[in-house]
Amino acid sequence: MSLSRRLLPILLRPRGSPTRALSTAAASAAPAAAEEEAVTIKGVRISGRPLYMDMQATTPVDPRVLDAMLPFYLSRYGNPHSRTHLYGWESDAAVEEARARVASLVGADPREIFFTSGATECNNIAVKGMMRFYRDRRRHVVTTQTEHKCVLDSCRYLQQEGFEVTYLPVRSDGLVDVAQLADAIRPDTGLVSVMAVNNEIGVVQPLEEIGRICREKGVPFHTDAAQALGKIPIDVNQMGIGLMSLSAHKIYGPKGVGALYLRRRPRIRVEPQMSGGGQERGIRSGTVPTPLVVGFGAACEIAAKEMDYDHRRASMLQQRLLDGIRGQVDDIVINGSMEHRYPGNLNLSFAYVEGESLLMGLKEVAVSSGSACTSASLEPSYVLRALGVEEDMAHTSIRFGIGRFTTEEEVDRAIELTVHQVKKLRDMSPLYEMAKAGIDLKSIQPMSGIG
Amino acid sequence: MAAAAAAAPTRAEVLSLFRSLLRTGRQFSDYNIREYTRRRAADAFRENRALGDAPAAAAFADGKKQLEVAKRQAVVYSLYAPKAKSIMEMKLQ
Ligand SMILES: Cc1ncc(COP(=O)(O)O)c(C=O)c1O
Repeated sequence: MSLSRRLLPILLRPRGSPTRALSTAAASAAPAAAEEEAVTIKGVRISGRPLYMDMQATTPVDPRVLDAMLPFYLSRYGNPHSRTHLYGWESDAAVEEARARVASLVGADPREIFFTSGATECNNIAVKGMMRFYRDRRRHVVTTQTEHKCVLDSCRYLQQEGFEVTYLPVRSDGLVDVAQLADAIRPDTGLVSVMAVNNEIGVVQPLEEIGRICREKGVPFHTDAAQALGKIPIDVNQMGIGLMSLSAHKIYGPKGVGALYLRRRPRIRVEPQMSGGGQERGIRSGTVPTPLVVGFGAACEIAAKEMDYDHRRASMLQQRLLDGIRGQVDDIVINGSMEHRYPGNLNLSFAYVEGESLLMGLKEVAVSSGSACTSASLEPSYVLRALGVEEDMAHTSIRFGIGRFTTEEEVDRAIELTVHQVKKLRDMSPLYEMAKAGIDLKSIQPMSGIG
Repeated sequence: MAAAAAAAPTRAEVLSLFRSLLRTGRQFSDYNIREYTRRRAADAFRENRALGDAPAAAAFADGKKQLEVAKRQAVVYSLYAPKAKSIMEMKLQ
């Protein structure tokens, strides 16, 4: 986040005369013109839009998705809830077709899919809505320390209302201990919420096992699958999922739409957050945004067809990236399990460099960091902390995201830029010099100064 | 759609569709979409080389639909191309 904030002014501010826009960029292909487009800030030259490797933050919209959406922004603008004319009917038909596509990707019945504004809203309805509905008998929630902020915040909110929450720790590889999870479930536990794929470290939790435990104990299992949908196979029945949060913009769909899966048998009930016209069978009032929902449906349909192909490519590119960096710099740590991981994520920490300087040097690569980027605070990522990553290493972590449109050349460029920057910073680092000379740094000083 | 039930396409028809997809893909102003279109088309045609008649006809019909999407979207992308190009294009020249 802080990186993109820093980058925006760079892209908007051309070198030389401030009135001269970057308008030559689009038209010209000549190398001379390419030179002119370059901008320099703080001694770093940026020559164009950075290569995008922040796929966990959001993905580009697939042109096939946009193609499906556009008619609904043009002539097919009807309210899908209008019952009296063609405009309404055609929108309604499109929404139901999209619902079927989302359902099909996760092995659900279309009647179990409720469109929302995204995974944040789904998580809120699932966690708060479910507990509120059963508040008389169920007073306890089990979740993990590495959940997305919106799950953790919903849990905090429940605590303020008098519910109890167990935040399970994770092992150093990021996985929950399922035995510990089973032990945490009490007679009054109303919900177990464990995310499918972690947004920061890409670790895939053992959903099937968790689902089995929950079924045995008669507790509904909620999973935040925003980062998993379309990337790893999901089957709500096989995995014993009772509630699931989905988002379109992580799978090459539009932002601002998602879906909540709510099991019908045995029926899961939630207290809605939105009062209103009773759309989405009362679970989520408000006019369903046809173009967004159609885009979500198209994204799911494409994901179903392309999952194997995309997965093979992500694996190949992840390996290329890891080998490329590891072959040239040492003292790197991979954050999170490599074995139980979605391959479109590679989260690395670099010892003996300073986090901020590392990011500043990677302006031509759009990536995220475990450093103080996700909030205004200076705390490093709570996810990395839950893994037991030390603060200095959390500050130098970089999350590389690989997606459907990532090229080999981009990966190679990312390697080149990262290696260059890490080497440069280490050449200036007395810590690195001492470590290479065999001096145990921990024995001489606390590491707090370099965070 | 109707083509799905039709007979398998001839070799010339397949090659022509492949070339059209590549040609249209090259027209995308966006570096990543341009590369993807080329790569995905090449991989799909390679994978589908050994298909029997019926699946070949279905794949051909699908390919023709993809071509129509690509033609429309290449235009849309060109209408809204950002002024600054991807850094991947700048040094490749
Ligand atoms: C795991 C996870 N859950 C929830 C969200 C929030 O999703 P949305 O942006 O659709 O509200 C995200 C993305 O930021 C995520 O990665």
